[in-house]
Amino acid sequence: MVTSLLSTDDLTQARALLEATGLQFETPYDDLVGIFAAGRLVAVGARQGRTLKMLAVAPSHQGGTLLDEVVTELVGRGYQEGVDSFFIFTSPALAPNFETLNFNLLAASGKTALLEYGDGLKRYLTRYTRLIRPGNNGAIVANCNPFTLGHRHLVEQAAAAVDQLFLFVVREERSLFPFVARMRMAQDGTADLPNVTVIDTSWYAVSSITFPTYFLKDGDPGGAIQMELDLLLFAQRIAPHFHVKSRFVGSEPLCGTTAAYNEAMHRILPPLGIEVRETERKNADQQPISASRIRDMLLRGELEGIAELVPVSTLDFLLSSEGIKIWDKGGAK
Amino acid sequence: MKIVKKAQAGTMQSSDLMVFLEPAETLNVTIESTVLKQFGALIRAKVDEMLQKHGIDAGEVRITDRGALDYAIEARLETAIMRGTEG
Repeated sequence: MVTSLLSTDDLTQARALLEATGLQFETPYDDLVGIFAAGRLVAVGARQGRTLKMLAVAPSHQGGTLLDEVVTELVGRGYQEGVDSFFIFTSPALAPNFETLNFNLLAASGKTALLEYGDGLKRYLTRYTRLIRPGNNGAIVANCNPFTLGHRHLVEQAAAAVDQLFLFVVREERSLFPFVARMRMAQDGTADLPNVTVIDTSWYAVSSITFPTYFLKDGDPGGAIQMELDLLLFAQRIAPHFHVKSRFVGSEPLCGTTAAYNEAMHRILPPLGIEVRETERKNADQQPISASRIRDMLLRGELEGIAELVPVSTLDFLLSSEGIKIWDKGGAK
Repeated sequence: MKIVKKAQAGTMQSSDLMVFLEPAETLNVTIESTVLKQFGALIRAKVDEMLQKHGIDAGEVRITDRGALDYAIEARLETAIMRGTEG
């Protein structure tokens, strides 16, 4: 029977089992479960948000149904918590074990494979099928936190170079501005450009699944692998559906993580048939326009300079009562 | 009858299936199976029959199957439907 692992002894056994199978005990997690045989832990697994991890079965008990039972329990509990799609990172050699459980392989690079339970990617792509006009299309993936004149400049240049431009707004809720607000700023800021279509990335591009370090500060070495998965998934599964043949990106002089992501794009996308076009950042006052600069100004209450950095539509939103609530937390400082 | 709340039944073990139900405006059934090529049509027919039997005309129905036999499909769907429709 699958049970929650809660006591100190449970956790000690879980750690030992994971380490014996070459894995690490990684906190945090939302759920940690296992199966005991004669008082000894023989199978373990955990869920953190949408990701299943720390899945291990003792060598003496492999070949049976223990993994199935653990994954069933984690998915069942997760579903009750409101999670409707689940992801697993594993080595490509172990991916078939999960494919027999109806996990689908999304992308695989050297040492890591990313699998998804259910057909979320297919449903995501199908949702946008009616908006796609086949042609020489392009894509931009951006957080738009908030939508700036820098974004606008990149979108204009890209839109002029392709038949249809998809502006993918990052779905993840890890930014100052909530997704709905970022989506609306992107839509309002590009409404006059007829060949620009604004859509969301769901979990499949620059998300906490495909690219968790995007939301952290610089310098996590594990981020490199996940950047690769993010780009492979984009090139192999997302771009073909949208007839996207070029990805547009602004040069990144400020943020190390984004600069490394741009560099990975140049390395990974062209061999897979996606051209990468990097545009020089738009400057204001000899400084590149960046969303983080605007967030800093907002949080410091320096509103005067912002009008020169964002489109009118974004300024209207920032100064609306809804917008003020977002950046003026707890009254002006 | 409508699916009024999220419900789930079944397991991921071999010869079993997992059923996920969610409220939705229309009836939408998706089936994934390790034996979809061989038995997809038969699984679909059985699922439709069960939904019809319980008069389910709206809801999101997602099934991931690992070669379950007819009576397993019936039992898992019936359980999920009872969980997803009761007050």
